[in-house]
This record gives sequence, C-alpha cells and structure tokens, in this order.
Amino acid sequence: MKLRQTIGYQVIRDWLAENNRTPFAYQEEAWQLILSGSSGLVNAPTGYGKTFSVFLGALIQYINEHPDTFRSKRPQALQLLWISPLRALAKDIGRAMEEALLALGIPWTVGIRNGDTPTSERQKQKRKSPEILIITPESLHLVLAQKGYPDFFNSLRLVAVDEWHELIGSKRGVLVELAMCRIAALRKEQEPELSFSIIGISATIGNLEQAMEVLLSPLQEEGRIVRATLPKQTELISILPDEIEKYPWAGHLGLKLVEKIIPIIEASTTTLLFINTRGMSERWYQTILDVAPHLAGAIALHHGSIEQELRIWVEDALHAGTLKCVVCTASLDLGVDFRPVETVIQVGSPKGVARFLQRAGRSGHQPGAVSRIYFLPTHSLELVEAAALKAAMDKQLIESREPFLLCYDVLIQYLSTLAISEGFTSEQAYHEVKSTFCFREMTKAEWQQVLQFLVHGGQALQQYDEYKKVELIDGLYRITSRRVAMRHRMHIGTIVSDAMLKVKFVSGGYIGVIEEWFISKLEPGEVFTLAGRNLELVMIKDMTVLVRKSTSKKSIVPSWMGGRMPLSANLGQLLRQTLNEAGKAGPDNIEMYALAPLFELQNQLSQVPEENELLIEQIETKDGFHLYVYPFEGRLVHEAMAAILAYRISKIQPISFSFAMNDYGFELLSDQPIPVDDTNVYELFSTENLFADIQRSVNSTEMAKRKFRDIAVIGGLLFQGYPGEHKKARHLQASASLLFKVFQEYEPDNLLMRQAYQEVFDQQMEETRLRNMLERIQQSRIILRFPEKLTPFCFPIKVDSKREQLSSETLEDRVRKMQLQLLK
Amino acid sequence: MKAPHSFTLFGQQLWLTPMKAIYWEDQSALILSDLHFGKTGHFRKSGIGVPQEVFKQDLQRLFHLVQYYKPKELIIVGDFFHSSYNLESDWFARWRKDHADLAITLVRGNHDILQASWYEEQAIHVQQGMYARGPFRFVHDPEELPEAENDTYTFSGHLHPGVLLSGSGKQSLRLPCFYFGKAKAILPAFSGFSGLALVSPEAGASVFAIAGQEIIPIQ
Repeated sequence: MKLRQTIGYQVIRDWLAENNRTPFAYQEEAWQLILSGSSGLVNAPTGYGKTFSVFLGALIQYINEHPDTFRSKRPQALQLLWISPLRALAKDIGRAMEEALLALGIPWTVGIRNGDTPTSERQKQKRKSPEILIITPESLHLVLAQKGYPDFFNSLRLVAVDEWHELIGSKRGVLVELAMCRIAALRKEQEPELSFSIIGISATIGNLEQAMEVLLSPLQEEGRIVRATLPKQTELISILPDEIEKYPWAGHLGLKLVEKIIPIIEASTTTLLFINTRGMSERWYQTILDVAPHLAGAIALHHGSIEQELRIWVEDALHAGTLKCVVCTASLDLGVDFRPVETVIQVGSPKGVARFLQRAGRSGHQPGAVSRIYFLPTHSLELVEAAALKAAMDKQLIESREPFLLCYDVLIQYLSTLAISEGFTSEQAYHEVKSTFCFREMTKAEWQQVLQFLVHGGQALQQYDEYKKVELIDGLYRITSRRVAMRHRMHIGTIVSDAMLKVKFVSGGYIGVIEEWFISKLEPGEVFTLAGRNLELVMIKDMTVLVRKSTSKKSIVPSWMGGRMPLSANLGQLLRQTLNEAGKAGPDNIEMYALAPLFELQNQLSQVPEENELLIEQIETKDGFHLYVYPFEGRLVHEAMAAILAYRISKIQPISFSFAMNDYGFELLSDQPIPVDDTNVYELFSTENLFADIQRSVNSTEMAKRKFRDIAVIGGLLFQGYPGEHKKARHLQASASLLFKVFQEYEPDNLLMRQAYQEVFDQQMEETRLRNMLERIQQSRIILRFPEKLTPFCFPIKVDSKREQLSSETLEDRVRKMQLQLLK
Repeated sequence: MKAPHSFTLFGQQLWLTPMKAIYWEDQSALILSDLHFGKTGHFRKSGIGVPQEVFKQDLQRLFHLVQYYKPKELIIVGDFFHSSYNLESDWFARWRKDHADLAITLVRGNHDILQASWYEEQAIHVQQGMYARGPFRFVHDPEELPEAENDTYTFSGHLHPGVLLSGSGKQSLRLPCFYFGKAKAILPAFSGFSGLALVSPEAGASVFAIAGQEIIPIQ
C-alpha cells in the first residue's frame, strides 16, 4: 500500500498542514513501515517528532482500515501499547497524543499505567480499555499477572518501545523482551491474519542493528531501521582552574570552581548542572546558594531521592522557564525536552561519549541550533577527558549498549507472574521464551532447572520438605497461594533499591526517601542534608525517619550507592590517544596545554605513557609497598585486573594484597615488596589461563556477592519489606549477604548463584574488554618506574578509592598478622 | 575433628570447639546457642528456596558433638527453633528419639514460640528467663540480664557475635567468635543460616575467633 495515496495519510497531512507543519521524511518512512505491517526501529534524537513518527502511523493504519467510522466510533479496545521507561515521560506524551486526537476528531482515549496509577483508574482501564496505553515495563508485567489478561490485548496492532536504547542494556530490557514474546504469541493465536508490529524508538548507539534484532526477536522477522538524518552540532567548553593542582584529588577541585559558573548561570535563561552523584548534587546546591544567595528561589535540586511531587514541580518549572538553574543527576538524562534550557554544565567525568552527547543535547533544541555544554573537572586530570571527548564528537564514536543474556532471575520472576494469572505449560512457555534474544541460547536442561527451582526450590523431593511456590496442576504451572501471589506482585520489576525509608517532618510534611544503611549510622540529634535542606534526626519509627529543620551549619551529606558508572571503552581509548599530546600540546589544545605543569611533574618523577605504552609505578610509603598500573580501561575492568594480577603474583610467593582503583588505573598494596620486574611483567599480563585465573581470584566471590543481592530480589529469594507486613514477615528476613553465604556453602551450583558469577564475568569484569586489554598490553611497551614519592597519576587512586583484597596466605596466618580492630 | 581449645573460667574446665559449641567438662554439659532449627523449612514453606542442606548439616554437627563428648546435658541458650512448627521439627524429633538419655535444657529465647506440648514430647526442659548451674547462669538476651550477683558468671546468645580483624594493607575479615567479658560470655550462633553482629570487646575480655576448623585467641 502506497502511503501517500491512503486516506489516513491525507487526513494526517491535512491536519499537519493546518498547523503549518510538514512531516519529516523519516516520519513518512516510519508510517509506511507500520502501514505495511512490518516492524523496525526508529532512530531519532529527542525534539524531532519521534513520538509522532510512530503514533501517527498507528492512526493512519486505523483510519485506512475504518475509513467511514474512524470519527464516529470508538473501538473500546487497546490498539497501541506504548512502552516507556520513565513515568515522567508518560504524562507529556499522553498530553501530546490527546491534543492530536482531539484536533483530528478521533474519539480514542489515552490511558497511563505505571506505579503511580491509582487502583480505581486501573480497574477502570480493565473494564473499559483505552485505545492507547502508555505503560512502564514493570506495569506491563503486572498486567500479565492479572487473570484474563489475554483479552486485554485482543485488538492490539502496534507496540511502540520508546527510549529502547535506555532499556536494552538493562534487565528492564529483558522484561520488555519477555512481555513481547508473550504478546506476539498471543496475537498470532488470536488474530493470525492481522498484522502485528513492534517499533522501537532509539537514540543513536553503537549497535543499532543489534538493538533492533533484540527487540524483534520474538517476531522471527526482519525489521528495518528508519533513521532521521538530522545533524546536531555540539560545542564543548572546558572550565579551567586558575592554577592546575599537580596532585589531583577527586571531588576536591570541583566545588572550588563554583565562582566560575555563576556568571554562566546568570547569562543563560536556564542552566542544567549535571552532577554524577546524588550526594555531590546536594553539596553543589548548597554551595551555589552560599556564594550566590540572590539565586535563592531560582535554583532547584532534582535527583532520585527527592520527593516525586517536588521533582514534578521542578520539571514543570523547567518547562515554564521560571528557573535559572537546576542541579541534577542522571534523573534528568531522559525524558521530554525542556525548551527553555539554554546551557548545560557537566561536572566531573561523564564516563562515556553517548551520555555526554545526550546531556549536551539538553540545550539548544531548535533544529539546527548548536548544543553548548560546559565541562567542569572535579580533579585536574579530568581535563584530559574533555580533550578526548572533543575527539570523540568529531569521530562520532558512540558506545554500544550490550543486551543482557540468560537472566534467570528475570525469567523466574516472569514465569511466576504467568503462574499467578493464567498459568503456563512447559512446552509453550519454553517455545516463547526461547524466541527472545535473551534466552535463545538456553538449553532444555537449563529450562528444566528453572522449572525445578520454581516447583521444588532447588533439589527435588527432599526429606521433611514443605517447599511450596509454583505447582503443576493438570499440566499447568500455577501459583495457588494468595499470600505468595500477593508478595510476588509487590516485587515485580528489576530495579532493586536499597531499603529506603521515608523522611518526614515531625510536624508532618514529606521530604523524600533515604537509604536505610545511611540513616542507621546516625544518632538522634545529628544533622544531615536531603533535598537541599539541613535536617536534624529526631527518631526512626515504623519505616519513617522523623526530622526537624536544623539551623546547624555542619551536616552530613549522605553518599548514595550506585551512580558510579565506569569509564566506557571508547572514552578510555581516546584518553590514551590524547595522552600522546601531553607536554606537546599548543595553546589551541586548551585542556592539554593547561595541564602542562602536571605532566611535567609526572615526567620528572616517572613518565606520562603514550598510547602504545603501559605505565607501572612501584612506590614505597609508610603504608607499605604500592604497585600502580594505568590501563585507562574504567573502574570495573581495573577491579578485575587488580584481582587477577594479585592472584598471579601471589602464586610467586605467599603474599596478601589490598587493591584500589579508579577509571584510570589501579593499585596493589602489600606489607611486603611486590615481586614484579622486567623478567615477569609480560607474563603477569598474559591472556593465558585468563578464565581460570579469574575464577580463582578470590575477588570474583566478593563481586558475585554484590551481584547476588539484585538477583535474589528479582528471583524472589529476598523481600524488600513493605508496609504493614514487615512485623509479620520478620522470621522470613535474611540479608542478601547471608543468603549468599548459605548458597555458596551449601548449594553453590544453584541457578541464581551461577548467574551471579556469570554477571560478574560479563558485566563486572567485562571479560571481553579485559581480554582485549591484555592483548593490547602484550603489543605495547611496558614501562616500569620506581618513583621516590607519589606521582600526580597515582595520587587520586591512593586518596579516594574503594578497597578490595586478595590473599594466598592461609586464613590462620592472616588472622595472626592482623590486629583486632575495635569498633567505635 | 581438630582439638578443642582449653579455657578455664571460675575454676571450671571448658573446651571451645570450632563447631560453635562449648563442652563444660565439670558438668558434662554441652553449651550452645541460637540453633535456629527449622529456619530453612520456614523459608521454604513460604516459597523461598534456600538450601535445606543447611539444616541437615547443622543437625549432623550436633550429632558429631554429642557422639564425641557424650554429654549428659545440652544447655541451649535460646533460639533453639526458629519459628512456628514445620516438618523440620519432626526431623529433629527423630534425632531426639535416638538420644533419649540426653537431658536438654532450653533457656527460652525470643524465637522459641512452639507450643509447650511439643517441648514436652521432646523431653526438653524449657526454662523461662534464667537457668543456673554451678557458678554459671544462662540467659538468652544479654540485655535482659538480672542484677549481677557475686561469684556468678552469665552465658548469653542472641547477638550472633563476630569480630572484625584488620591488618596492614587495609585487609579485613569478619569471623564468628566466643566472647568472654568480665561478668558475661556471649556464644556464637550455632546455626549455619545466621549472620554476624560485630562486637567491640571491653578491656580484659577474652575473644576467640572461629576461623574454619580452628579456634584462634584474639584478645
């Protein structure tokens, strides 16, 4: 069917023309795709009508199929399912759709379904379905947990998956894959003759083709990528300190530069100030108010722990252009455009090219306008990153988002979901699950293990065992216990947060939420900062932290976990290349030129490595013997490499290490000299026996333990408390680390344990990247240096880093060497 | 089994074993605490598949201890059974039948909520609050100690005590421990399905860490 000849197209085009708009070429291409009943991926930046490229396509299809009645009759059944990762997006998208429907005179309704949707609204949607439903992946799974859910989808023609680039590299993406395999199979069963399409919408990532393959996998058909080729220009401006500190210290420099950003804020209508962590965003907010009190009232804070109403207020104010500056975290990375935003400032390393460009894209929305982004380093070495980012933007080097594979925790959750509503048969569910990209490599034996885990809780038929969750009744796997079903519904989803407590004023009034582990360390009377306020802890009662306002100048800023992204491989490579310029750069290379004194000191004490070199420094201090290595591969790869290197050295002689790392390098620290020299250094970095050495390095256990927490929650082994139940469920509480210990000791081959280790290999250690790094090192020159004192490169690793450990001494020997540490 | 560690207290001969129990030679009694029997069963009944093997091995460990020391009495300082009745209680009952001569005294802990009749059937003497024996007294929760009397010493559990050891190179380890303070001792949790609460030893206290199969004096 030729798009332009259809009545649907004409209706839409006329309406657009009335508003002096013409469709972009890529939009027409997407409409044609939908019209022909195909599936695919739309690649377009925000602000260029990507919503309309899919939504209007669905309307054109509907008008063509109902040319006489499309204005007079409501189908009263779901036509378009719109999956969106963010709740905040739903409202704006829904509003835009409703306006278009009203103007076109099409009597469809738009429903929104997410964690904030009240029960009454959900009931209404069940009784009388909206034609369009905007939903999060989690809420979609909640729909699948309802009895009779197949009827809900019985007229569905099109599923749009918005911001797919955000979902694909996460377990939420797996939720989408699983929901798609169910719905696609259902539609084939219900109306085999009608077309059913899935269209993803994605920003540019390195692996767009693969992103499409993942999404469309359950359909077993080829898709097409529709690209909006709209150029966007980005300009990066570094904010330089007046004097380069030769011993850089993360987090230290940033706030000192606050004076430099005040004029930038004042000169723009609205500025977004991106900070990498929630804790630092609180401090920046305070500091800006301290140095520029006249901004009070015109500056706001936006991050994941702030009360939702307040966040919505901030977002609305951003739309209205009434704020001068918003200090924010990744919480504002996504979502609709805030047109009044003129300037973006990035504080600290953005960790990746894609993220940086995305943030830059927050400014300058008019097609053709230049996006301007300022970069403010938190330690002077980060200026190298600014120089590297400029190179990345020139070359359009954008990271890939790797899809997750074989996430058994999500599969166990999904099958429990189906077991609550309609039940499932092994045959059919296996077939459907295998059709997803995530589980296509799953073997029949692994499938049996999953079922066994659900039905028998591990090993089958044990003595004195009363395990009960999923039961096999007449060939159908079902959950019959209402209590188990209820608990499962409360835990659908894959975003696992630390136990959070609500923070409220004693006098009433909700402020936000805070991690339990942070607040549990405070004593009543102590003051902490949340949502830009200084609050005094009064007491903790029934999962609520009661506080009062404090005038105290001193307060503790919570340091939130998470938000610590590692440096991407792309950016790491560019950093190494950029270092070639160290000491040679002219004034036109602003950042590298400014860093000249630091590089001079580094060269004096040690050396600045070039792209084809690996620098290793060995230094003795009163803390012990340090070994520093600088591969520039990101924190996670360094963590793994440190463990492997420590293990390999420990095979030479019994020795214990602790290690530390940042995005640039890592450190091994020991109480005895570390035997690394010209004779063995290449061998220590060899790829030989890599896999075995990874497995033997103690660290994988520690890493797996951290991964296991999320897996245990998603897989239903660990419950995050919920109101009212927490007292009754007390005998069912166990910490993730205790569960891990128990499985490690008594059932190490458990499916979820194996997954934890697999995730460590794939994501944490990034085994592929690790291997590539070692191969690169084998081809490079390794430079061993023995500086007399700490160098500019090693200083940031030494002063602010997390430590891990590895030992080849026996437990008893280690204990003898240690002293008892008295707790405060 | 590795040799236990000898420790004398109030003239009494105690043997600390890495199997998380104390053999009290003078009274021919085995002292242990926080067994949390039935905890795996309780989880599994609710659809949480923790390995049942934990309980099985705990029971075997108790069996070994009884075989080796041949005590006349088990003194359990609370939290013997984790929660309400489940089939794992029957498993213990079968074990109990084979050791009918053994006297068992349970100082009731906060988790011990089974019906009185069950304890009666198992011939377990349930002691509310405090149990006294020779120079020692036994109370589950050290916070609920009655006023100290002269020449007595109290054993408690409840806390699941552990110590944090740290060495140079910023290494650290967490291990379960026996803790002997001036007037009270805290026993390690016997259960394999239990976490640790770090204790800060007072001056003059004796602390023994359990590192694998060894007892290591720390302080």
